[in-house]
Amino acid sequence: MRGAATTERRAGVAAARGWSVLASPGLLFVTPTILVLVVALPLVYSLVISFSRFTFLTPRLDRFAGVDNYLKAFADRYFWNSFYVTVKYVVLVVGVEFLLGLLIALLLHGDLRFKGVYYAILTIPMVMSPVGVGLIWKMLLHPGLGVVNYVLSRLGIQEVNWLGSPAMAFWSLLLVDVWQQISFMILVLLAGLVSLPREPFEAAEIDGANSLQRLWYVTVPLLKPVALVAVLIRTIMAFRTYDLVYVMTRGGPGVSTDIISYYIYRTTFMGLDLAQASAVSYLLLVVVLGLTAALFSALLKQEAV
Amino acid sequence: MRRSVLGVLVVAMVAMALPSVAFPQGVTLRMLMEDVPETHIIKALLPEFERRTGIKVQFEIVQYMDMHAKLVPQLLAAASQYDVLEVDNYWAGEFPAAGWLEPLDGYVARDKFDLKVYLPSMLDMVGYYQGKLYMIPMYNYAMGLIYRTDLMQDSKLNELYRRQYGKPLRVPGSVEEYVRVSEFMRKNAGVAGSAMQGARGDPIVMEWSNYLFSVGGDYYDEKWNARINDAKGIRATELYIKNLLENAPKGATAFNLDDAFRVMSQGQAWSMISYWWMLPQLNDPKKSKVAGKVALAPMPGGIGLNGGWGWAIPKNSAHKKEAWEFIKWVESKEVVKRRALQGHAPTRTDVFNDPDVLKKYPYYKEALQIIAKAKHVPEFQFSAQMIEVVGRELSLAAAKQKAIKQALDDAARELNDLARKANLKK
Repeated sequence: MRGAATTERRAGVAAARGWSVLASPGLLFVTPTILVLVVALPLVYSLVISFSRFTFLTPRLDRFAGVDNYLKAFADRYFWNSFYVTVKYVVLVVGVEFLLGLLIALLLHGDLRFKGVYYAILTIPMVMSPVGVGLIWKMLLHPGLGVVNYVLSRLGIQEVNWLGSPAMAFWSLLLVDVWQQISFMILVLLAGLVSLPREPFEAAEIDGANSLQRLWYVTVPLLKPVALVAVLIRTIMAFRTYDLVYVMTRGGPGVSTDIISYYIYRTTFMGLDLAQASAVSYLLLVVVLGLTAALFSALLKQEAV
Repeated sequence: MRRSVLGVLVVAMVAMALPSVAFPQGVTLRMLMEDVPETHIIKALLPEFERRTGIKVQFEIVQYMDMHAKLVPQLLAAASQYDVLEVDNYWAGEFPAAGWLEPLDGYVARDKFDLKVYLPSMLDMVGYYQGKLYMIPMYNYAMGLIYRTDLMQDSKLNELYRRQYGKPLRVPGSVEEYVRVSEFMRKNAGVAGSAMQGARGDPIVMEWSNYLFSVGGDYYDEKWNARINDAKGIRATELYIKNLLENAPKGATAFNLDDAFRVMSQGQAWSMISYWWMLPQLNDPKKSKVAGKVALAPMPGGIGLNGGWGWAIPKNSAHKKEAWEFIKWVESKEVVKRRALQGHAPTRTDVFNDPDVLKKYPYYKEALQIIAKAKHVPEFQFSAQMIEVVGRELSLAAAKQKAIKQALDDAARELNDLARKANLKK
């Protein structure tokens, strides 16, 4: 009892000293355990499962499946469809968000009044839950009763079958995702722009560079590290898109919006096949890791220069 | 120092004493419940059960889509934190097949619990699994036809229909006639023929199953060979997709129940194949522009899709005895009647035929007929996967990315795989 009280007091003193508690050897010793338990263990466990025949109905790890689960995924054309849809989705959604986000960030970086108001508005979609966003947009895009088609019809434009047509549903999903997530891109890029040093710009101005030249030769190279980080984070996030698809299209019509995370969800909770789902998750992980590594190496090269 | 030691001791003792103060008899039944009116109706009645038995009941109320993912880990664990389950008929094959549910035959025999009051179609769906009783039917969501009476009584439309088809306009008696009247209404009444729910996944499968069963088709034959691609399956699908693409509102290929309800309640459709208890919703002037102008009938062709929930006890619950006490109470005639009078969808015939209930809800007469004839989707370990497969293929056919025959053939192949995996094929 006495010991506990003393430790308590010591902890109090340490806290009073602020962050120094983080440097205490005790915490250092605990860190690997936490990392192993929280990060590594689930990862290893799901890797093991992916080589077994583990299902919810027979939750046992003792039946080794070799690479069967992986081969099964490769043989399933709906897996390849999901893979294709996901890659197309990630490339387009991140691409559009980056270009549009950069444009808006540059505009906001200029001399503008009411900047605070814009920032506040920009943050709102980002903090909303994707399920809420999906439900709201589903109502807005309702073909007969939605506001969007109503406005279009007032402008003399033919009503659009936003989610009901397989060709359109993909783009509708993209639109909603961009609407929600672009703020992230804008805010990160804006933070990058604000923190750029002033001197290169002044030098370029003295040398007679016009605004377009300044953008291309000064802003873009200086902003590159921040831009790479923004793209990297958004890419990883985009690969995990799930909620919007679940709420808005359920992967349909047909298989036009059947992205890989929804495929994994179905394999787990409808197919009850955790082994197969883990295998596909690992395939996804490999792709995301590869992409992350590529972007990181680009980033490091940049810093070396 | 001494004082602080004493302080810690006092705090610890109080902390240890607290739970026993709050729950004198100890047992608390925990249940995962769907966030629907039914759950809140029962919740309001709980204090009475607690007073009578001293058993506390705690509801954890979540959305349907979160339920399965929350239940499975609990059922797999050594001890479940849920003591009573509500089991959707989607899982009514999976849970008993996995050995997660306590058989109830013994309890029923011991307490002479009367099963005869339950509709046979309900007991078949959320009661028995392979001859053993695992669930007590709790709730029903069979599907039927809801249609606009004002359009059916319109003299101009009646005359026009008679002239075009040489027959009187009436509530359709077959799927063919239903699609024909849908088309007629779309062309002549300025509304969509049918407010349909064609979204991929369970919406499209639920709705399509009504067409399938009513033309005499089925998912599997009695030997568990897939038969959704036989002549009847193809016919049902042709009619369904024709109605979906031609006579349903624009965008119905992405509609779920809510989207379809919005169209119907705004007066923009003649009919809707839906759950029978959607009728009071459509008759509620606060929610619907067509209140007072809608009626309920069996699915054209006679056999609609049955759906429902059952009460069950997990095998790994620590309070099975108390759980059964709860089921007995909540399913007693008295409590079921009180639930029904507040809008609950019963499963007991004596409550359906109760004069007080019928007085308040005259359409329970039609509802009873709908449920008595309704048929449910095949129940086995892979029901959810089966629905997913069929939903995908139907959605592909509706999106014109696959021919109907091809889509049904592909679905049948996967359905056969599932039956084989479940060791059901004879």
